[in-house]
Amino acid sequence: MARVAEDEERAFAELVRRYQGRVTNLICRVLNDRESADDLAQEVFVRVFTHRRNYRRGARLSTWVFTIAVNLAKNEIRRRVRRRNWFSLDALQEVLKDSTLIFADKTEGRDRSLEREQVQEAVAKAIESVPDKYRLALVLRDIEGLAYEEIAVVLGVPGGTVRSRINRARGILKKKLQPYIRQEGMP
Amino acid sequence: MRCHEARLLFTVLWDDEITQAEKEGIEGHFASCPSCRREYDEYARALELVAALPRVETSADMVEATLARARRSSTAPDHVTERPAWVPATAAAALLIVVAALVTHWTGVGPGPWVDRPVASLPATPPATTTPVATAPAPASATKAPASGPVATAADSLFDPNQDVEFVLDPVTLRRGRASVMQTLPAGVQAERAVISF
Repeated sequence: MARVAEDEERAFAELVRRYQGRVTNLICRVLNDRESADDLAQEVFVRVFTHRRNYRRGARLSTWVFTIAVNLAKNEIRRRVRRRNWFSLDALQEVLKDSTLIFADKTEGRDRSLEREQVQEAVAKAIESVPDKYRLALVLRDIEGLAYEEIAVVLGVPGGTVRSRINRARGILKKKLQPYIRQEGMP
Repeated sequence: MRCHEARLLFTVLWDDEITQAEKEGIEGHFASCPSCRREYDEYARALELVAALPRVETSADMVEATLARARRSSTAPDHVTERPAWVPATAAAALLIVVAALVTHWTGVGPGPWVDRPVASLPATPPATTTPVATAPAPASATKAPASGPVATAADSLFDPNQDVEFVLDPVTLRRGRASVMQTLPAGVQAERAVISF
């Protein structure tokens, strides 16, 4: 990072290469939107580059990069909610209703051999349906594998709040995924 | 250990942050409570499904595209405030209106026919306030008169432009270029004229 701060382009390219996968994955899972993930991930690194001189030596670089990524993801979520509200107040409810219907249909468990892709899609949708503040904590912990302390720094909330959010998110997720878990042979 | 207590430990058990005592307690509970055992298995399975989601593959040109974007951003200003085109026009119009209002107020010139004023309802006879002002201040009750009365409508203009206005000056004397109030007035003088002497 010190070399990036000194305008060394090769160092910046290395930084992008090192974190691009995790940042893109984080954004993709939070937004459940593969197409926007690349663009937003690029924006994360542009912000890193723009504010490279604000980086405090000693702070964990991954924490800093994730903080920027989470903030951009939050902004994008807000923007999308505003846009949906702008077009129609009912649109969001329709989207939520649709996703509930998808789960409701599959609860019947007609076909025990769901394709892996279908399950993955359902898991992604279940994550998307978790409220934003819980979802961010969940993705950082259970997908990106960050420590609770690091998540607290990234989200700017106390450690206890992080634990409670993750606990809440997991509870919601478990309920949403219950049909798939049962279908997979659980008693 | 009760079911409620056991379920509170699901998170720390999954995260492997559980103490040895808690671990023994919850395992003992699972042995005697199949419901909690199943709940935890479902909890663990849901999180396994989340963890098993495939990693998103980044596009091959991600590094190059990001570098190009960073280069562009470093040459452009950090924050470009895009001002809508209507803002300057509206501001100019507002400024013009304020200036026109002030000029109208200072010069005493009426704002013109486009302003709805009660002047047309003025009576033909001039209001009483056109008589010497300084010697005959308007009574306080005049300001409380209804808007349709002559005194109230005269508030738009203190003087009737069609009549001569008689000003009464305080009796002063100019001596050595300075004005001073005359303390003693000659007999018969009722302070209607200024005495100027050099």
